[in-house]
Amino acid sequence: MTRNKELSLFSELYTCYYHVVACILEEAKLHPVTRQDMESLAKEFGYDESALSIVPCLTGHVWPLLKQDSKKADSYRSCLEHGVFPMTLTLLQKAWLKALMSDPRFCLFFTDTQLQELKTALENVEPLYRIGDFCLFDQYGDHDPFSSVMYREHMQAILSAMGRRQPLHVSYLSGKGNIISHTWLPCRLEYGQRDGKFRLYALARRKNGRQRMDLINVSRILSLKETGNPFPDSVDVEHFLDREMCGEPLVLEITTERNGLERAMLHFSCYQKQVERMTDTGTYRCTIYYDTRWETELLIQVLSFGPVVKVLGPKAFIRQVQDRVRRQADLKQHK
Amino acid sequence: MSEYKELIRQFDRIRSYVRDFYVYGFKTREDFREKSGRTYDNHRRRMESWFSPYIKTDRSGHKKSVFLTIDSGRIPVNPLYQAWRSKTFTDNDISLRFLLPDLLAKGRFLTVEAIADEIQKLNGCLMDTQTIRRKLAFFEKEGLVIRKKEGRQYLYGSAENLALSHPGLLTPLWLAVSFFQGAAPFGFIGSTILDFWNKKNEYFRFHGDYLVHTLEDEILLPILTAMERKCQILLTVKSTRSRRAGDVAITPLRILTSTQTGRRYVCGRRQDSHRFTSFRLDSIQNARILEPDPCFDRYMETFADTFPYIWGVSFGNLRKPETVTMEICFDEKEESYILTRLDREGRGGALKRLEPGVYEYRRLCLDPSELLPWAKSFTGRVRSFHCSDRAVEKRFWDDMNLMEACYLPSDAVPD
Repeated sequence: MTRNKELSLFSELYTCYYHVVACILEEAKLHPVTRQDMESLAKEFGYDESALSIVPCLTGHVWPLLKQDSKKADSYRSCLEHGVFPMTLTLLQKAWLKALMSDPRFCLFFTDTQLQELKTALENVEPLYRIGDFCLFDQYGDHDPFSSVMYREHMQAILSAMGRRQPLHVSYLSGKGNIISHTWLPCRLEYGQRDGKFRLYALARRKNGRQRMDLINVSRILSLKETGNPFPDSVDVEHFLDREMCGEPLVLEITTERNGLERAMLHFSCYQKQVERMTDTGTYRCTIYYDTRWETELLIQVLSFGPVVKVLGPKAFIRQVQDRVRRQADLKQHK
Repeated sequence: MSEYKELIRQFDRIRSYVRDFYVYGFKTREDFREKSGRTYDNHRRRMESWFSPYIKTDRSGHKKSVFLTIDSGRIPVNPLYQAWRSKTFTDNDISLRFLLPDLLAKGRFLTVEAIADEIQKLNGCLMDTQTIRRKLAFFEKEGLVIRKKEGRQYLYGSAENLALSHPGLLTPLWLAVSFFQGAAPFGFIGSTILDFWNKKNEYFRFHGDYLVHTLEDEILLPILTAMERKCQILLTVKSTRSRRAGDVAITPLRILTSTQTGRRYVCGRRQDSHRFTSFRLDSIQNARILEPDPCFDRYMETFADTFPYIWGVSFGNLRKPETVTMEICFDEKEESYILTRLDREGRGGALKRLEPGVYEYRRLCLDPSELLPWAKSFTGRVRSFHCSDRAVEKRFWDDMNLMEACYLPSDAVPD
């Protein structure tokens, strides 16, 4: 058994400069690359200023990995005999994969034969961690049935269809208990860590030819079948998501009482947000841009802070909080 | 004065800056007083470079704050992983990273001397054998190179490349790695696998993901090692409130992750007070593994017995659990989702239907104050709230009164 606990996450092997150079070498293996080609690859895969350091080292032969092309001036070819990708995995990477094999979600991506093959391939590798050492203590109790045979089949069918832009005829049980059948193009899977559920972003065509993006809980799917007619174009999911963004952002006033600032900042860190210090009141103003489909979830989160966090806008959001506070005041009076 | 570089030597120097820029975002140069202004300027410039698509600035008066703003549900890979990709290296390091695997490809085994000769012949680059030998030893430790003895000399070859030796696994592994790089501990490692295979996460997104956890991963590794070896561990903990740091020895038992508050903790038994305590991973500055603890299994049993009485991570001050009871009312036909919430979010609490539209929720908690945020999320539906710890009960109702005062001022006319 190989020991892997002394390996470091912060290693030169994973430096983004190495990845940029690997991409340049791969490109330069196929055809001569110019300085501009290198700069654009550095921009795409590196940091903002990486090109300034990487390109002169490659062209100046400080890193002896490129040679000047004999036919084209200012162009370079790779010195390497072989392609760079796919690279051999390090022990740390294999140990991480080995740890994942104990995760109940891992089998969703593999057949039993593939799992067995991977198990054999990694048999001499020690897992990086044990799943049982972690506890998601506040995850909701009704996560998806990852061990269910049907659920696994559905996930694999969705993943396969997504890769080939293959629309699926899906029947699923709606939240209200109705069985709904329709044809959708599966576009993206979203996983919610809080509830342990996969949701499928699926494109549907309306009768009038317009398109809409639906969200389907994978665990509610009863059956699915490929239609056999691949979708011709790629779908810009972000375009549909942009439409769901709030018109007016949520604005909160946060006090420092009961460590409220620290708690709220971390709690809302998963949102796109901006925070200002209000020097006159000693409070903080946090502006949150959110997807309207998750508004109720956000409202519940805000309420859980109680008076430490106050909603300043938009009006519709304030009204929702007021309704609940008013209802609570009524309940108290009827006690 | 040293020249500015995008890359850094030590990760722990940058950790708190990344966290402050991302989590808080309102801090200006004057707020970073622990180090010099020049250090702040260099770190700020690095972060502007590392995270350029997500960097925003805000000016209030003559003060400028730079911050990171990210909707974690819209991104394929955690941008904070960029911080882990910033390790410095030498010219020889990067050259050999590509030259050695190329020379050793296709199952070739070579001596150090033969490698040096080939590098000189093919690349016109003179490298001393000692440098190559050191790099091969490093690669061997990292699992990239294997060594075998032939006669009196050692030969070096490439370790098995999983993607080439098992081509049928490449697609399912790519999908699995694309998912787990955003959904498993040490997700950064998954993102490096995507880099090594020149792949991208094309299909998965992560709702409500706390990206900041990645910054604690270097601390997490020795803690997990200590747990596996049943050892004690010495933690250097910096209080988030007082900002003072101190050492504490614990026997670590479990990593407690919150999916709702963005915090991760290590829970263990303190050696000084002999009590179970949880420490936030983001407050731990250093972790050093100590001797094996012969009582590890006994502590683990006690922990397992106690854990059902914990709401979050606090073990409270009392040995006896307190009882929390609340009555929640809702329209059973139109608002059945409230019952679903009570059931799935109630962490094992007992539910009883008292009358149509009214349910009682009851749970034992060692520290019932931890349950208050969840109880307050039902504002508008709580008919009664009782706790055997009267201070907690009072806190709940005080907060409800403050909410009334805040949102329903007596002279306000509802619109």
